[in-house]
Amino acid sequence: MDFLFSYLALAAIYVVLGLSTNLLVGIVGIFSVSQAAVFGVGAYIVAHFLMAADPLSFLPALAIAILCCVTLNILVTLPSLRVSGDYFVVTSFGIQLLATAVFTNWTSGTGGASGVPGIPPADLFGYPLESTFQLMLLCLAGLLLACLCFWLIMRAPFGRLLRAIREDELAVAAAGKNVLRAKVSAAALAGGFAGVAGGLYATFLSFIDPSSFDLDASILLLTMVVVGGARTLAGSIVGPFLLLAMPQLLTLLEIPTTIAATARQLIYGLLLIAFMLFRPQGLLGERL
Amino acid sequence: MTAYLQAVGLDHSFGGLHALRECGFDIEQGRITCLVGPNGAGKTTIFDAITGFLRPDEGHVTFRGRSLDGLRPQAIVHAGIARTFQNLRLFTELSALDNVLVALPQQFAEEPLGAIFRPLHAARSQSQRRADALRTLEHVGLADRARETVRNLSYGEQKLLTVARVLATGAELLLLDEPASGLSAGALDAVMALLRRLQTEGKTLLVVEHNTRVVQQIADEVLFLHQGHLMARGSPQQIIADPALAEIYFGGAI
Amino acid sequence: MILLQLLINGLVTGCALGVVAISFALVYATTKIFHVAHAGVYTLAGYIAWMLASHGVPDVLALAAAVVVCAAVGALIQSQLYARLERRRATHLVVLIASLGLLAVMQNILAAVFSPNILQFPVLWGSRIIALGGIRLTYSQLLTVVVCLAAYVGVMWFAYATPLGKRIRAVASNPFLAQITRLQPNAVYVYVVAIASAIVALPGVLVPLDLGLQPYGGITPLLTATIAMIAGGVGSISGAFMLSIVIAVLQNLSLLVIPGEWSIGITFFIFVIFMLFRPTGLFAAAR
Repeated sequence: MDFLFSYLALAAIYVVLGLSTNLLVGIVGIFSVSQAAVFGVGAYIVAHFLMAADPLSFLPALAIAILCCVTLNILVTLPSLRVSGDYFVVTSFGIQLLATAVFTNWTSGTGGASGVPGIPPADLFGYPLESTFQLMLLCLAGLLLACLCFWLIMRAPFGRLLRAIREDELAVAAAGKNVLRAKVSAAALAGGFAGVAGGLYATFLSFIDPSSFDLDASILLLTMVVVGGARTLAGSIVGPFLLLAMPQLLTLLEIPTTIAATARQLIYGLLLIAFMLFRPQGLLGERL
Repeated sequence: MTAYLQAVGLDHSFGGLHALRECGFDIEQGRITCLVGPNGAGKTTIFDAITGFLRPDEGHVTFRGRSLDGLRPQAIVHAGIARTFQNLRLFTELSALDNVLVALPQQFAEEPLGAIFRPLHAARSQSQRRADALRTLEHVGLADRARETVRNLSYGEQKLLTVARVLATGAELLLLDEPASGLSAGALDAVMALLRRLQTEGKTLLVVEHNTRVVQQIADEVLFLHQGHLMARGSPQQIIADPALAEIYFGGAI
Repeated sequence: MILLQLLINGLVTGCALGVVAISFALVYATTKIFHVAHAGVYTLAGYIAWMLASHGVPDVLALAAAVVVCAAVGALIQSQLYARLERRRATHLVVLIASLGLLAVMQNILAAVFSPNILQFPVLWGSRIIALGGIRLTYSQLLTVVVCLAAYVGVMWFAYATPLGKRIRAVASNPFLAQITRLQPNAVYVYVVAIASAIVALPGVLVPLDLGLQPYGGITPLLTATIAMIAGGVGSISGAFMLSIVIAVLQNLSLLVIPGEWSIGITFFIFVIFMLFRPTGLFAAAR
């Protein structure tokens, strides 16, 4: 049973991350391979505050993480959005690699390559969530809230504005709207989602290390959006659930653990190519 | 008295192409002015320069006495000038109504926080705006096509939609880039009637147009542009009757 | 003295990086594709040479073979992947994602076939050291500089003096015009990616002589190279090459004050500065 709860909790976390990536890549159309970096920032911040000498309760720690991740995304998208899209590709790679360098080398802050063990489980209003089941419920709650936010945004004028921007930025500017502000807002929002996912991840797994937040992880996130489908809520949900079942599938096929990670990444790469060639709208999404 | 819209000394080159040469003109409020000239004369370049899509190498544009130099496109719209594009640039995957809605100014929940934290207010405000947008579509005669995606609209309807979009911005000076080109006779009449109606409602129009019949029927004044420079101005009759200009327009090399 | 040593090391790395930069710029300026998978080709070259050298093939032949194989791989990538995507009218984002997927595939195939860990090159002559004054230079470092400088000169000559080179530059400066004047841009694209892949094989083989091979090591040099390309001005071959050297030297000099694992930070910092103040680069090709 615990195994199922783990799967659901992780899937929930990755759906929130998927929404974040979908917002940036699917809706605004920015190529981002730095989502895992922001995810990591959220995780490390929550871990830090939950384990500080004067620890914070989960929700305040999460709030700080959200704030930091939002700011981070704003800071990195702002200069890049003023010039052509390809420059953001470079920026995105740079952020991801830089973040991995920080996570791995800043031992005093992040525990370095060995990571941060023993993160206490979340506590809500003084009541600690001890069991896997309860933590899973927390993650599901996060999932529901994130989906609700996403849905509200997309049906609001903001969502319509983003869709128009994706089609024709100049026409949107000609209609009197501030394109840059809309894009930065979307990026900020994506940052917020990633921060929430990071906090949930840290407290659910109780151990985090840089390998969960590297370029391979960002590629996995991209694959989830590509496979599930861009720009739709359904796509953001299906992608993570399917791809998280992949490791289980590999074990069934008896791929030895030594090359399991390599095999997984290989499959993600193949999926990316295949979907871009043959089904750019993913399973349940709209054309990228 | 300062001119309503005034351009002075506009000069711009695209690499080797000298698109605007010390171009200057002014527009009177409440009139329909047509901008004519052979291809490559610089008409769209002027539009780009006025509306902030281009920063001319030299020259100034003022509107109601206020300088527009260096302002970005959205700021120019807020100042009261809106433009259409020769290649329409509609949002093809959105409905006609949504295309207009995008252009309505000052909407609630056009940013994420309002959408998330005050959803009920957002929904209420949206239904009001929908009504406004529908009225704009009625104004151009597209009310019954409101829910259609742009793909399903005829070319004539799409052109009307571009006008609806600029109307929605609330701008008082409308720059229309070939609003009548490529239209059938019936659609053409509808567009001309619309433009005259807009004038009676107090809008000022600057229209780039190739069709001499359209120019004759709607223009109060015509500006003839050639090789990036204002060559002549006058009433439609004067400009069209001038043989030298006709030669440039139809026969001469650029 | 240590300053001079760092400078020389930077020069060596910079030349190698410079070739990565100009080969990437060749593809980017012509096809407008941000060919992330180029990092995979770069990595592939090293492994091919290693595999051949380990089976007794003479080093020069191993290098040549790597160049030829990479050229073929490059041609395949353009004709089978990018051209197909173009036919389906894929957006820029879609092509980027596909390229990234290809990179992941290439890197992980190499990791699975060879090893995910660092492999050393079985080349003994490479680590022999020349000492000039107080500076130490390995033979492979010297070879890297010579070959990469030669490659730079070769590319410049090719681009400006040969018919194909001129055709490529014409397509790069105006793809639309190229389409209608029958310059056959699609064929040109295949040539370009093939040539760029062949060129990048050179540092791809030479750099691992000293540093060893690893399947995931391609992205950092590629990233640095693209930053050099952007800072030097897209379309300027010399700009890309020179800025690569500048960045590599700065990275090495920064070792005086910060630990090596943060060198990516220096590169990135340079990029952000350029983005904020001169996004078109120093030597952007005139329109």
